[in-house]
Amino acid sequence: MDWQAIWLTVKLATLVSMTLLVLGMPLAHWLAFTRWRGKFLIEAVVSLPLVLPPTVLGFYLLMAMGSRSPIGRWWMSLTGHGLAFTFEGLVIASLVYNLPFAVQPMAAAFAQVDPALREASATLGASPLRTFARITLPLSIEGALAGLVLSFAHTVGEFGVVLMVGGNLPGITRTVSVSIYDRVQALDYSGANQTALLLLAFSFTILVMVYGFRRRPWAAVPLT
Amino acid sequence: MTVAVDVRMRLSAFVLDVTFEVPAGVTILFGASGAGKTTVLRAIAGLVRPDHGRIAVGERVLFDDATSTDVAVQQRQVGYVFQQLALFPHLSVEDNIAYGLSGRPLDERRSRVASVADSFGLLTLLQRKPTQISGGERQRAALARALVTDPAVLLLDEPLSALDHVVQSRIMDDLRGWNEARQIPVLYVTHNHREVYALGERVVALEAGRVLATGSPHDVLDHPTHGVLASLAGFENIFDAVVIERRERSGTMQCRLQGAIAELEVPLTEAAVGQMVRIAIRAGDILVSNQEPVGLSARNILRGTLAELSVHGPTVVAGVDAGVHFVVHLTPGGADALQLHGGSRVWLVIKTYSCRLVST
Amino acid sequence: MRRFTIALVPLALIGLAIIQLDAQSPAGQSLTIAAASDLQAVFPEIAGRFERQSGTKTTVSFGSSGNFFAQIQNGAPFDLFFSADVNYPRQLIAAGHADQDSLYEYASGRLVVWTRKDSGIDISRGLLSLLDARVRRIAIANPQLAPYGRAAQAALKQAGVFDAVQSKLVRGENISQTAQLADSGNAQVGLIALSLALGPVLQASGRYVEIPETAHPPLEQAAVIVSGARNKTAAKAFVAFLQRPETNQLLQRFGFTPAASPVP
Repeated sequence: MDWQAIWLTVKLATLVSMTLLVLGMPLAHWLAFTRWRGKFLIEAVVSLPLVLPPTVLGFYLLMAMGSRSPIGRWWMSLTGHGLAFTFEGLVIASLVYNLPFAVQPMAAAFAQVDPALREASATLGASPLRTFARITLPLSIEGALAGLVLSFAHTVGEFGVVLMVGGNLPGITRTVSVSIYDRVQALDYSGANQTALLLLAFSFTILVMVYGFRRRPWAAVPLT
Repeated sequence: MTVAVDVRMRLSAFVLDVTFEVPAGVTILFGASGAGKTTVLRAIAGLVRPDHGRIAVGERVLFDDATSTDVAVQQRQVGYVFQQLALFPHLSVEDNIAYGLSGRPLDERRSRVASVADSFGLLTLLQRKPTQISGGERQRAALARALVTDPAVLLLDEPLSALDHVVQSRIMDDLRGWNEARQIPVLYVTHNHREVYALGERVVALEAGRVLATGSPHDVLDHPTHGVLASLAGFENIFDAVVIERRERSGTMQCRLQGAIAELEVPLTEAAVGQMVRIAIRAGDILVSNQEPVGLSARNILRGTLAELSVHGPTVVAGVDAGVHFVVHLTPGGADALQLHGGSRVWLVIKTYSCRLVST
Repeated sequence: MRRFTIALVPLALIGLAIIQLDAQSPAGQSLTIAAASDLQAVFPEIAGRFERQSGTKTTVSFGSSGNFFAQIQNGAPFDLFFSADVNYPRQLIAAGHADQDSLYEYASGRLVVWTRKDSGIDISRGLLSLLDARVRRIAIANPQLAPYGRAAQAALKQAGVFDAVQSKLVRGENISQTAQLADSGNAQVGLIALSLALGPVLQASGRYVEIPETAHPPLEQAAVIVSGARNKTAAKAFVAFLQRPETNQLLQRFGFTPAASPVP
């Protein structure tokens, strides 16, 4: 049982999903409400991680963050060590490939909030930020939650990118999925099995908790 | 305080081009669905941007494309009651009403909310959610929410259409009471002519993006200048006719109704002989007799047959075929006294001045 | 809204703390080794012995030599790289990613034909056994990534069976994964490293036949010290440790033919 890998994975998934919740909201809000004609371009970019194979994504992320890249070298000058093959590197890579999983459910939820409610909020003097915080967000909390859960679950399960960018360094970048693969390669099936079962149980519990605590006291549709 | 509205905007069905003023008190923006009334409200509120024009509340300019002025919605201090009310479903009535007051001290918020809730009879409902109160109470809550912020202008988009008359008039009494002290301009949108008489001091009639008429309810509706306005204003009978004789000295002219031999004598206008005109007559302005009337001053006496008879609340509606189909309103007492039934021979009596000439 | 913002603050702090905790990079106290998968059976034992003897924490990551090659070029933080061939290390030295004089040929590898005991396949004829109709899939390591895969492909060609069996080949990402394909029964036969076949798991579950060394170019396996290594002292100590007689014997036991060459 690779407890180190499990703890590492939990840390990674939590950090990534929480960060994306905060960072993804402005992007999701913009995507939901902008009338810019070039919106479809941004939507396509955000959706890229959905269609690219993880190995391709991992390859490009490694190129972008490795010691030979401008970003990697800048990081090295800043911190004294590289960005690829570190936990921080994994976090950044995970933020990139989880972007659509966080942003799309949130944008969809924001968009279906009745526009009249948002307009009413504006006529009552609320700034766009206040309208978002007091009206749009509370009425679309399910979308935000879905984004959080999806990016968490996706990070836990990701393999190709993590292996490429992380390098399978125990205690640093060896996540559960990589650890299981590692055990299988070492022909240690029982070890792999144990870790896999624990992962399954953990993920299931999280999902049950999240979906069980959902409430629907009001729909974001107009009342006449 | 007067709101000066001058808006030009290209819409999908027509070009909106209106200029009018809204003084203190209630002005009705009247017109058929799709005439552009809601768009005008939204422009005043800042929710849409006109292509050209100027909108000002007293000295304060909210929009002027000549100076590129476009005050943000949040800063316009315009109270807006939406057609769908748009009450926030996840907030209590109290929080809904207090929404526009954020940033003010807590006790000031509480007292203002209590005061407006009292004016609108909502004090006992403050802790409920919008789903938990009735339609009339929701309407009041939406009004209270818009008014508690002391807006410079109040915009109402068909706010009472879904309510019965009793509730409607009570709400409007509350609103009038509230406005007596403050005297802000209120622009009230409706397509229902009964609300115009009940509620409005001034009327601006809108059709296909243009102002057809402005004035008192009496001016605009009782003497409708346009056919569209006439039908909106509740003129049940509208006929096309040809002028066959002009009587300068009497101040009248004789017209033959299209598709019939029936003729009507109507007030004189500039129309020439042979010209088509449109005549509008209120159903309530037509008298019915079950025998040929004699010794009356009325110039129009038409013989016809009662085609149908039905009761609508306090009014008996009769359809009479006198060459063309007339709709006539009677009291139940009147209908009983005449012992009318389908097929009865009747005479219709219509005063010259009951015939309004409207443009097509 | 206020509640929401307040909740974010501790989460942000936790996040920062987590990052800090993980800022630990292998300091001068530990040794990180990238090892080709064929060393999977024997290296854990060697690393354990080294750790006990020297007190230096040693972690080994196994994978395909080709993958490690690419990662080291991009700054992967390994101290030592044990490749399954000698070309990758040479290329790293040429490109400046490994220390010039640190090239050390540590062993020569051997290829075997392996099958599960219960597969019912007769492998006594070595590579010719692969023509058996019951052999539907043959596992080899990906020749583009793994030296053992290249050797297997060469051996198949030399035996003249490559064209006949080409459609039956399934490629493992590295030689370990290849062994796993055969061990699971997904491939009836695997061409794997002798060192893996001699490991406890595969010894118990299958049998093998050695492929003659002449069937393929020699699998000279070499190691280098990565130029960005943080702990070169320990790296050199490890290489020296490998040359000890006891360690050499261990390597031989696992089918490696040790090749000694001096290390500065």
